Amino acid sequence: MKKHLNPRHAVLSIAVIIFTAAFVLSVLAAVTIGAVKISLGDVYRIVLYNTTGIELGDGAFLSGGTIFEIVWNHRMPRVLMGAIVGVLLAMCGVVMQATVQNPLADPYILGISSGASLGATFSIMIGASAFFTGVLATMGTAFWAFLGALGAMALVMLLSHMGGGRVTSAKLVLAGSVVGSLCGAFTNMMIYIGKDAENMKSVTYWLLGSMVSARWPKLLLPGILCILGMLFFLTQLRTLNTLLLGDEAAITLGVDLAKRRRLYMIVTSLLSAVAVCTCGIVGFVGLMIPHIVRGFAGSDHRFLLPLASLSGGIFLIWADVLARVIIPNSEIPLGVITSAIGAPIFVYMMVKKSYGFGGKD
Amino acid sequence: MNIETRSVSVSLSKKQIVRGASIKVRDKQFVGLLGPNGSGKTTLLKSIYRVLKPSAGTVLIDGEDIKELSFRDTSRRMGVVSQFNNISFDLSAQEMVLMGRAPHKKAFERDSAEDYRIAEDALKRVDMLDFRDRSFLTLSGGEKQRIILARALAQQVEMLILDEPTNHLDIKYQLQIMDVVKSLGCGVLAALHDLNLTLMYCTYVYIMKNGEVVAEGETEEVITERLIKEVYEVDCALSRNPVSGKLNVSFFSAV
Repeated sequence: MKKHLNPRHAVLSIAVIIFTAAFVLSVLAAVTIGAVKISLGDVYRIVLYNTTGIELGDGAFLSGGTIFEIVWNHRMPRVLMGAIVGVLLAMCGVVMQATVQNPLADPYILGISSGASLGATFSIMIGASAFFTGVLATMGTAFWAFLGALGAMALVMLLSHMGGGRVTSAKLVLAGSVVGSLCGAFTNMMIYIGKDAENMKSVTYWLLGSMVSARWPKLLLPGILCILGMLFFLTQLRTLNTLLLGDEAAITLGVDLAKRRRLYMIVTSLLSAVAVCTCGIVGFVGLMIPHIVRGFAGSDHRFLLPLASLSGGIFLIWADVLARVIIPNSEIPLGVITSAIGAPIFVYMMVKKSYGFGGKD
Repeated sequence: MNIETRSVSVSLSKKQIVRGASIKVRDKQFVGLLGPNGSGKTTLLKSIYRVLKPSAGTVLIDGEDIKELSFRDTSRRMGVVSQFNNISFDLSAQEMVLMGRAPHKKAFERDSAEDYRIAEDALKRVDMLDFRDRSFLTLSGGEKQRIILARALAQQVEMLILDEPTNHLDIKYQLQIMDVVKSLGCGVLAALHDLNLTLMYCTYVYIMKNGEVVAEGETEEVITERLIKEVYEVDCALSRNPVSGKLNVSFFSAV
C-alpha cells in the first residue's frame, strides 16, 4: 500500500474497510432474525443457494416452501431495502449539508418529505381514481408520493429563483420550510376531513415509515439509483469539500457554484424521493448519521461520504430488525425506532462538547 | 498576466455601487485600491473574482473576457483572500491550505506528496506551520487570515486579489503578510485602507470614491495631502520616514 501522507488518512481508510465489512455482516446477521425461528444453517443454505447456486442439501427446500418464502422473499429483500434506503438517506444528507452549507439540512428539508406525504395522503385518503381515469387512476401510493416529492422540489427551486439574484443556501432552506408547511396544511386537511379509520391507519403507517412492503421487484429502482448516485457523488468529492468553504471561496477555487448547487439539489432530491416513496418517511437518518460520522471522521468528504453512507445502511438494517422483534408478532413503525434511537445519540453529541455541529464556538 | 476592468458597473439591490470603474493590473505589478468605507472597493473586487456579475462593462484576464472562461480556468490564474471566511464545518488548518490545490486536481486525483510540500511551504511562509493540525474554527481572526493567505499561495497563481488582507492582524503580521505577498513577485491587486502600508508596498494606486475611480497613478504621486483631504475628509501631513525613505502619513485633528 502507498504510504499515506497524512496519518489520519491511513486510519480513516482502515475505517472504510471495517465499515464495509460491518455492512455486509449486518446484512447477513439481520437475515437470521425475525418472528419465525429458523436455524442459522437453514438461513445461510438458502441464501447461499439463491445467490451462488451452490446446493447444500435438499434443492426443493432451498428454492420453495414456507422457510424459503420467509428467508428469501421476505427477510432478504427487507434487509436489503433497509440497507439501500439507509445508504440513500445518509448519502443525500451528507451532500445536502455541504450543498446548502447548513448543518441542519437533511434529505427532507427541501419540502421533499412533506410533498411526498401530501401525495401519499391524497392517494390513500381520497384515491386517485376519484380525480383521474386511465393510467393515473391505477397508480399506487408510491407513485403519488414520488410525484408529490418532485412537485415540492420543483416548487422550492422555483421559489428560490424568484426575485432574481443568486440562489443562496438561506433562500433554499426558507423556500423548503414554506413549501413544507403548505404541503403539511393540505395533508392535515385531508386527514381531518377523512372518515375512513382504516385509511387513517395506513396514512399514519406510511408517514412513520416501514419496510413491510419490501419485495425483490421493489428493490430494483432504489438499488440501481443508489449505486448510480454513489458513483456520481464519488466523482464529486473534491467539489463537495470545496463547497464547505462557503460560496465565495468555492467560486475562487474554481467551482461553478450555481451550476453545481442546482445539480446536487436535483440529484439528492430525486434520490430521497425514491427513498421516501419506497418506504415512507424515515426521519433522523439523513440528518443524524452525517453528524455522528463527521464527529469522528471529520468533514473531508473522501472519507465522510463512504463512511456515512455505510453507517446509514447499517443503522437502518438494525433499526428495522428492532422494529420487527421488539414487540412479538407486531411491528413498530420504523420512523419511531430511528427517532427514538436518534434523539438520545444526538443529545449525547450536543452535551459532549468536542463536536460543534458546525457551530463557531 | 494582467487583469483589466473596462467601465465596470455593479448594482446591488438596484443601487449602483460601482460606476464605470476602469482599472488595470499589469504583470507582476503591486496595485493598491483605496477609498473610504462604502466607496465600492470590495464590490469591484468581487466583480473581478466572479462572485458578482457586472451590470455593465467587462472584466478581462490577459485580454480574454472573463465571461468566456470557466471558473476552474480563472481559479488557476488568480487567487483571492477575501474579508469573510466563516465556514460551517470544521477542517484542520492544513486541510484548509490543501484546498488551494483543488483548481489543479482532477476529480479522482489524490493529494500528492508535491501538494503536501506546497501546502507546507505556504504554511511556513505565513508562519503558521505549528498550527497545521489545529482546527480552523478555533483559530483567531488573524490566524485565520494567514491560513487563507496560505491557501491562496498554495494555488500558485500569477495574480492575487486581496481584500483588506491586513484586517484583524497586529502590526507584525500586517508587515509580514505584505512582505510575503511582495516577495512572490506576482501581480497583486489589494484593497487597502492603511495609507502607510499602501505607500510602503504599492507601486501604483487607484483611488475610489462613491463607486468611481477618482484618481490613479504612481503611489507617491497620487497620494497627496490634498487628495487625502478630498477623499477621506481628514487632515494629514506627509513626511519621509528617516530610515526607509518612504513617504509616511500622519493624521491630525483640526479641532
